[in-house]
Amino acid sequence: MSQEQIDKAIAKDYAAGFTTDIESDTLPPGLTEDTIRFISAKKNEPEWLLEWRLEAFRVWLEMEVPEWAHVHYPEINFQEISYYSQPKSMEDRPQSLDEIDPELLATYEKLGIPLHEQEVLAGVAVDVVFDSVSVATTFREKLAEAGVLFCSISEAVHAYPDLVRKYLGSVVPRKDNFYAALNSAVFSDGSFVYIPKGVRCPMELSTYFRINEANTGQFERTLIVADEGSHVSYLEGCTAPMRDENQLHAAVVELVAMDDAEIKYSTVQNWYPGDAEGKGGIYNFVTKRGLAHTNAKISWTQVETGSAVTWKYPSCILRGDNSVGEFYSVALTNNMQQADTGTKMIHLGKNTRSTIISKGISAGKSSNAYRGLVRVGPAAKGARNYTQCDSLLIGDKCAAHTFPYIESKNPTGIVEHEATTSKVSDDQLYLCQQRGLDPEKAVSMIVNGFCKEVFKELPMEFAVEAGKLLEVSLEGSVG
Amino acid sequence: MLSIKDLHAEVDGKTILKGLSLEINAGEVHAIMGPNGSGKSTLGHVLSGRPGYEITGGSVEFMGKDIFEMETEERAHLGLFLAFQYPVEIPGVSNMEFLKAAVDAVRESRDEEAFDTVSFMRKAREACTAVDLDQAFLKRGVNEGFSGGEKKRNELMQMMLLEPKLCILDETDSGLDIDALQVVANGVNTMRAEDRAFLLVTHYQRLLDYIKPDFVHVLADGRIVKSGDKTLALELEEKGYGWLEDEVA
Amino acid sequence: MTDLLSPQLNLETEVPDWLQARRLAGRATWDNSSLPTRKTEDWKYTSLFPLQQDFTAAPVSDASATELGLDLPELSGSRLVFVNGHWREDLSTLTSDAALEVVRFSEADDEQSALISEHLGTTVPSAKHLFAMLNDAALTDGVFLRVRANSKAQHPVQLVWHNSHSENTFISNQRLLVLAEHHSEASLVEHFSGSDNAFTNGVTELVLGPGARLNHSRLHLESPQALHIGGLHARLDRDATLESFHLALGGKLKRIDIVINHEGAGAHCQLDGIYLLRGNEHVDYHTCIEHAVPHCTTDETFRGIIGDKARAVFNGRIHIHPDAQKTRAELSNKNLLTSASAEVNTKPELEIYADDVQCAHGATVAQLDDAMLHYLRTRGISEEEALVLLSYGFINALVETQALDSLRDYLKPLLADYFGATAGAAAEQCANLTRHIGA
Repeated sequence: MSQEQIDKAIAKDYAAGFTTDIESDTLPPGLTEDTIRFISAKKNEPEWLLEWRLEAFRVWLEMEVPEWAHVHYPEINFQEISYYSQPKSMEDRPQSLDEIDPELLATYEKLGIPLHEQEVLAGVAVDVVFDSVSVATTFREKLAEAGVLFCSISEAVHAYPDLVRKYLGSVVPRKDNFYAALNSAVFSDGSFVYIPKGVRCPMELSTYFRINEANTGQFERTLIVADEGSHVSYLEGCTAPMRDENQLHAAVVELVAMDDAEIKYSTVQNWYPGDAEGKGGIYNFVTKRGLAHTNAKISWTQVETGSAVTWKYPSCILRGDNSVGEFYSVALTNNMQQADTGTKMIHLGKNTRSTIISKGISAGKSSNAYRGLVRVGPAAKGARNYTQCDSLLIGDKCAAHTFPYIESKNPTGIVEHEATTSKVSDDQLYLCQQRGLDPEKAVSMIVNGFCKEVFKELPMEFAVEAGKLLEVSLEGSVG
Repeated sequence: MLSIKDLHAEVDGKTILKGLSLEINAGEVHAIMGPNGSGKSTLGHVLSGRPGYEITGGSVEFMGKDIFEMETEERAHLGLFLAFQYPVEIPGVSNMEFLKAAVDAVRESRDEEAFDTVSFMRKAREACTAVDLDQAFLKRGVNEGFSGGEKKRNELMQMMLLEPKLCILDETDSGLDIDALQVVANGVNTMRAEDRAFLLVTHYQRLLDYIKPDFVHVLADGRIVKSGDKTLALELEEKGYGWLEDEVA
Repeated sequence: MTDLLSPQLNLETEVPDWLQARRLAGRATWDNSSLPTRKTEDWKYTSLFPLQQDFTAAPVSDASATELGLDLPELSGSRLVFVNGHWREDLSTLTSDAALEVVRFSEADDEQSALISEHLGTTVPSAKHLFAMLNDAALTDGVFLRVRANSKAQHPVQLVWHNSHSENTFISNQRLLVLAEHHSEASLVEHFSGSDNAFTNGVTELVLGPGARLNHSRLHLESPQALHIGGLHARLDRDATLESFHLALGGKLKRIDIVINHEGAGAHCQLDGIYLLRGNEHVDYHTCIEHAVPHCTTDETFRGIIGDKARAVFNGRIHIHPDAQKTRAELSNKNLLTSASAEVNTKPELEIYADDVQCAHGATVAQLDDAMLHYLRTRGISEEEALVLLSYGFINALVETQALDSLRDYLKPLLADYFGATAGAAAEQCANLTRHIGA
């Protein structure tokens, strides 16, 4: 690919970069026990949860920022971040979509999430997290008929305290890592899902996250519990407006799949990546983990095109016999973006199986690393893992890395890892062009082909969106 | 349709074409023959605009336009098609997907409406049958793991679907057995039309037993050194290229 | 921190000035560093706990070859034998070869000393390899092998580092510098054997000039409880070729760092390794191939069989620098676990900063295929023999591609005995189980 083509690749725009003018009720920057008490009080939380948060905060104070990832960024001053932001007009909760601030709705329109339309057409129930407060939950009633609980986590704390108390932090303990501890202390809101025994959730559940307020870190907390024999597919989409300064995003997602249950969690992440010089953008430090009991299955699918720095390893703890973990990932980095992402598959039960398919695409001056751990425990008789990670390089200033850790303590386990690195070749581009495709379309086709194995795992609506997103991210990537 | 005047071109700093001139009108079939290294394949790549092939002199007009300022795909939109000697493999991109994208792009450039998926698939299947390629190939990656003959037939199928004005076949006969050669020739013959021209680049005359050319040109050392009708091809086969080089010298 | 160094400082002998400078620099780095812990990424799976004991200086031994139990391959060329790190002229043979100069640092003439001081340590970046600094600090002698430009050595050179039994656990220091000048060719075998209660700290440096070809083997045949921390560091100039073969049979703690630096375009490295562990042994191979320039190639294959309660670590890093276009690098690591308590940790890493490259790596962990085992048994082969056959089959390819016939002839029966014994066969049965090996 020529220099000129590469330069154009770097000149992409961020389509979702706009801000919404809504008065917010934002906490001034800073983090002390008082901040946590404020957040907890604001949400009218029970005493146990405040204690839980404070304990996490005390643990966090003792912890050090992790430095092992292959990413570089200036030190974050956690006292300069505001830990709570709530759209002001939300003080009185709207009872239906009609009551929602029209400007807010317009924002979603721009993002391509027409709530009204979705209601009718897509049959997707959306729990929208706008900055930190859950704005509206659609389809609640229909879900309620099936016995499915789907609401914001702050609501769940009041409505289903036993469930929340039982499972919150059960998969990602508070002291798991630096950012998980921080999230546990200050989490603002997020989604809660409970699927009762034997229920197949009648529709795809969906949440869109959006960071709107300047200087607000977003700390959502998601908890999904699929009871015995149930089934749920959950979609998460993320965007953030353009800002010069970096914004911190440290979420925690916990999945619990009881015996014979199945959870499919799909993410399309398109946070603002910063400009071509690497100014601004989101720091995306996320802990996602699922616990699979006997015969359960947890499947993570992610398409990551945004954020300035990504640090994310959706993982599966395969505790129950015959449980299954899957990780399908496409991570695209451009300009100055840095991604260190992958998964952990912890095989504890007998005959547990896991599959990892990771596709990394680096363009511009970006750096894209796969980091994965496959651990076969001593009791994981007959465990099986297959890992394939491929990297595609576009241009000669980017970097691609592969760091797979394989730890096996059981001889009957079989672990296979394969990795390749290649580039979009001039010959491939030329062939496509000779057949009348413009180079951009050609690159996007080649990249889509490269990612096909992952895209086919996405729910239909998301697959289309993901394909488009890649196209936008690669816009102008060649002359 | 195609007018090449005194064309000079370099590849990697080495001059390959040294003053080539050629006129092709609609409806004609031209064959260019020549020994290895004479610049036969270079001509096709220069015309389609392959990166690394540099024009150092002369001019080329195609469909009344100077094509040297045009991108490869713009030339394709104008109706220039090159069947590659060595078609490239594109793993992961299915043939069907690729064909639809290419046909859509070419039709869009002509302000023609895109085919809907159903009718396009029907056309693609027909084309498959026409080149004797199993329809399973439509689902496979572009040329991925295809045999030499299958790749050539795949090129021909693309040509049928794109309906170009000028078809350049670069050594399409090389590596084909007699049966496959007939399939390719039949494909070309059914596509012959008043508004379409062909440029067959070949080392051997055997292809010309099946596709009768109107003109035969001999390329040597970057220039056309002799032109004639199809009897020239037979003469070449009999006497070898050495004969010509001696004559020209 | 100086615990490991102090017994060796008692040995303070007179050394040339250039060597003294290196010793002091090594000592300074060692004194100012702390031992890596399990939190250090490079030592994540290997504990240095076995080094937490009192060591003495390496004793001088005058035991005969028989008393020492030396069992060496017959390679026809020069053989230099060191016992407990001390030169044993009586056990060594030096044959003359116009292409070669083999000399100990202490005996080097002026020209040789100049070459040694020019090249010694240039392959080892000091901060990264702490034990190489310990080696520097304790340096009293070493071997310098020079392969003259445009010439080919007639016979392989063999270097034997053997440790004898001793009352106290001791430290022995090993150092080798090879300078293969431009367009030279040679073969070299390093042989480590001996005592349970010795800690060897070894550093071998290979400097290959333009077009040089070196065939190198490093055999670790030490006792099951031996301690060894060692490094092979190589620099390859343009069009140089290095074939390097490694074999490790156990050890209580064995950590070998292999670092190959491609510094000239067109250099090629073939790196093969086998590790076989049983009992409570621990072997850790860390390999790192640095592609700093274009058009270089690397083929790396490591295979391991891990039984009983043993623990193997493999970390294979390939690092492609920004200018190293047209690199082709492949790495494969396959592991067989033969017991429920055995463990392997493998991490093949690719770090790539250039786009026009072909890189691939693969790693597998599994046990012997039941179907294969069954197939052999349906053909009348006993389970024990089938196990030996399949285990040997797993590593066979790496032995067979060894360029030195004489080394292959030495290794095959040695490996056959190893697998026979592992299968639990008594000595007389062992021959039966292994009869097909090498046939």
